[in-house]
Amino acid sequence: MMKNKNVKTTGVYVHIPFCVKKCNYCDFLSFASDDKTKERYINALCREISAYCEDKKIAADTVFIGGGTPSVLKPELIERLMKTVREGFSLTEDCEITIEANPGTVDEKKAEVYRDAGINRISLGVQSLDDDILKRLGRIHSRKEFLKTYELLRNKGFDNINTDLMFSLPSQSFDKWKETLEEIISLKPEHISFYSLIIEEGTPFYDEWLKGSLKEISDDDDRRMYHYASDKLKEKGYIHYEISNAALPGRGSRHNLKYWSMDEYAGFGLGAHSFIDGVRYEDTHDMEEYLLLYSGDLRSRKERYNVINRNTVKDNAEEFVFTGLRKLEGIYKDDFHRLIGRSIYDIYSEEIAKMVKEGLLKDHGGRIALTTKGVDISNYVMREFIKDEWKL
Amino acid sequence: MSYRDYIRNFSIIAHIDHGKSTLADRLLEKTGLVSERDMKEQFLDNMDIERERGITIKLQTTRVVYKANDGNEYIFNLIDTPGHVDFTYEVSRSLAACEGALLIVDATQGVEAQTMANAYLASNEDLEILPVINKIDLPSADPQMAIDEIEEMLAIEAHDAPQVSAKDGINIDVLLEAIVNKIPSPEGDENAPLKALIFDSVYDNYKGVIIYTRIVDGRVKKGDMIRLMATGKVYEVTEVGILAPGPVPFKELKAGEVGYITASIKQVADARVGDTITNNDEPTSEPLPGYRQVQSMVYCGIYPAGTEKYEAVKDALEKLQVNDAAFVFEPETSQALGFGFRCGFLGLLHMEIIVERLDREFNLSIVTTSPSVIYRVTKTDGEELMIQNPSNLPNMVEIAKMEEPMVKANIMIPNEYVGAIMEICQERRGRMDHMEYISENRVVLEYIMPLNEVIYDFFDALKSKTRGYGSLDYEFIGYEQSKLVKLDVLLNKELVDAFSMIVHESKAYARGRFVCEKLKDIIPMHQFEVPIQASVGTKVIARETVRAYRKDVLAKCYGGDISRKKKLLEKQKEGKKRMRQFGSVEVPQEAFTAVLKYDEK
Repeated sequence: MMKNKNVKTTGVYVHIPFCVKKCNYCDFLSFASDDKTKERYINALCREISAYCEDKKIAADTVFIGGGTPSVLKPELIERLMKTVREGFSLTEDCEITIEANPGTVDEKKAEVYRDAGINRISLGVQSLDDDILKRLGRIHSRKEFLKTYELLRNKGFDNINTDLMFSLPSQSFDKWKETLEEIISLKPEHISFYSLIIEEGTPFYDEWLKGSLKEISDDDDRRMYHYASDKLKEKGYIHYEISNAALPGRGSRHNLKYWSMDEYAGFGLGAHSFIDGVRYEDTHDMEEYLLLYSGDLRSRKERYNVINRNTVKDNAEEFVFTGLRKLEGIYKDDFHRLIGRSIYDIYSEEIAKMVKEGLLKDHGGRIALTTKGVDISNYVMREFIKDEWKL
Repeated sequence: MSYRDYIRNFSIIAHIDHGKSTLADRLLEKTGLVSERDMKEQFLDNMDIERERGITIKLQTTRVVYKANDGNEYIFNLIDTPGHVDFTYEVSRSLAACEGALLIVDATQGVEAQTMANAYLASNEDLEILPVINKIDLPSADPQMAIDEIEEMLAIEAHDAPQVSAKDGINIDVLLEAIVNKIPSPEGDENAPLKALIFDSVYDNYKGVIIYTRIVDGRVKKGDMIRLMATGKVYEVTEVGILAPGPVPFKELKAGEVGYITASIKQVADARVGDTITNNDEPTSEPLPGYRQVQSMVYCGIYPAGTEKYEAVKDALEKLQVNDAAFVFEPETSQALGFGFRCGFLGLLHMEIIVERLDREFNLSIVTTSPSVIYRVTKTDGEELMIQNPSNLPNMVEIAKMEEPMVKANIMIPNEYVGAIMEICQERRGRMDHMEYISENRVVLEYIMPLNEVIYDFFDALKSKTRGYGSLDYEFIGYEQSKLVKLDVLLNKELVDAFSMIVHESKAYARGRFVCEKLKDIIPMHQFEVPIQASVGTKVIARETVRAYRKDVLAKCYGGDISRKKKLLEKQKEGKKRMRQFGSVEVPQEAFTAVLKYDEK
């Protein structure tokens, strides 16, 4: 999945921080809100996009409207948002335009508006097909609602659907995971993400975990569920192309791949991240500040954005490796050389040799990739590549 | 009357926690030069570590003025002494600078091992010992018991000993008068050639080494050329003065007085405790008796940990040595730990203090290896080696004889613990030499023990078994032949020389098992199984396994938030820095000290 090096195109990320109600495991920047705030937010968001683009018409080949739950917005707001994006960016013909949706919030009207606005990919937060588990997670939808929504989207012509699944959930047996996964596969979505539950600080699950009322699934069971999914998906014709993602051939998420390939992306909205011209930015996390910031005329992007880091060559090398290794095909040594200006062995020969020796990386042909064992403990592998100093 | 008739030079000696520092504070408060407002907690102690441990490491001497009931002003030179067995020699030199000593005894505890040890040291220096019963304010105080014990056990008359409470300031006046009346004034001839005792020295960034001295004969002033008799080095005096307790310059110091001398001396090792200062142009014929070169008893390796720089550790050790003549070090190399230093200490406490100072004052991350004593090894070809690093032990087939240093341990305990303590002494290969009931419920046990058993965990075990009531004092008595073996530790089948230790044959199995169990708890899970083995020669005597971990993966990245992931990896990496890498095994630093700690079984 190498990118086309000749045409510089960017990815566009738009953050919608709203949801009906926060799930018990969620530590994303999202919350329930009233209609007025939502409208003010979209106004500010559109201004942010327009101000960034001015009259440049930047070429973009992916758009991702993520959240939160973008589908909680009234369809007109999505319509306006898409219009603004199209005014600011010159979207390529094959542009991948994704919206995240909760199965409980999509109706016929919304599906039509999305389709007519040019959105061509839907990412559904399914998580599980077991109603007890859905309840335990604090999801607002049921198994039945998901099935209905899925069918609706297919009927409205969406031919690129992702389903997000979670495993290692409290009280989830291996068999229950197997059932959910196999039923999803039988629906043949183009893309399936499968995430292991991480109990994050500041979530209700975390509090329960501290109190002891939530028991973590053992690492052994977690890995069993993971590898079962990987094997099953491959068996059914999916390509397991990223640690937590699988897709039918040609259906990998092009937008998400940008994150793992040091490609550019411009992020808009509360807390949104961007990577532009070697600089990483992060928008404010404070809603009031955000609304205030984008209420008046804006002069330049530099003043508005919070720069987190101007990447050094060292940063680039490290990020290239640890993001790139998430892709199971691995990193291309040529790409490294092109980006960093030096051979990957100039900088990481010891680390690569050590990881290969430990059976966690495979180094063959033009690529270096995680082994199956390496995937399980990928953090261990990746942090090898974060070095204090570079020997010259 | 001579000026000397109005001088009293004395130390305060006590068992640890019997209230020495508090009493010193109180004396300073009741005399001139220090106001109540200036009083800090534990006025005499000036190091953080000392305050925490409640013991005095470095001496600090103070001169105060007391207006006595007879209407005269007396100069008191209060000479502080360190309070631990490791520093016996320093204590003896401080005592040699005095005519008298206040022997503090806690009215609730009575005489303890260090009370006795210190009282003996003081009588060896022919000091007038003035017993003082402290802590009479406590409900459980039994002054008569303390008096009886002093008379019975130390043969020191104590029936009219001042009974005080340093904490509440009770009867301090009585004590001050007793100091004037009971402690003799110094003798000496101020017109004789200079003869002065160095009883301590500290390094000062501006003045160089400040020598703490007692003038025995003669005089000294700025501009004099002095000679330090043991080292033979000659210096020009740049300043003399008194200690209040900070240096206050005076024109001259003369016989009987206590004060300081500076002479552009670069390190404290050049002004050794116990050395005699004389005038280079008009020298004294004989140095003062009792000078002894400091002998390290305990050695260990100190290595930079993780990414710590060798040079940074070297600098810090040099700085510490400038102020601590008893601390020695030289470079060495370990296969496991790379370049580092072999360091010599007076004892285990001294070692712990240095290690803590490296951490606290220099913010260094270091690894210390198992402490070792010096073994005397005679090879089959007759060559004799002094081995302080287990790695340097010759092959067993080349060894004809091994000897280890022995100490006489003086253990004082309440009688109900006799059984338990005899047991731990026997476990540590102790031979009982003597046992005596010194009072109805107190027993002194004298054991001949190998020093390596004492430095390992004996003191911790003693404290633990006696709920803190046991006390220990020991002295080196010589070498003795012994059946010793080298115990090695292998991680993932690779020998880690930093864990190697020399142990008695009979202890190898238990120690091997203990070390393996400890390491199993401390070494984090790796992505592979880590076998931990203890071996003697090629024979594995104990084994544990750290099982492999299965999962360390971040399922999701959030909307292109790469920095979050990077921070996580960096944080994990930071944790790794505190680890030491052996082959492919990562070992946390605390592993090296944890394998030495006493474990209550």
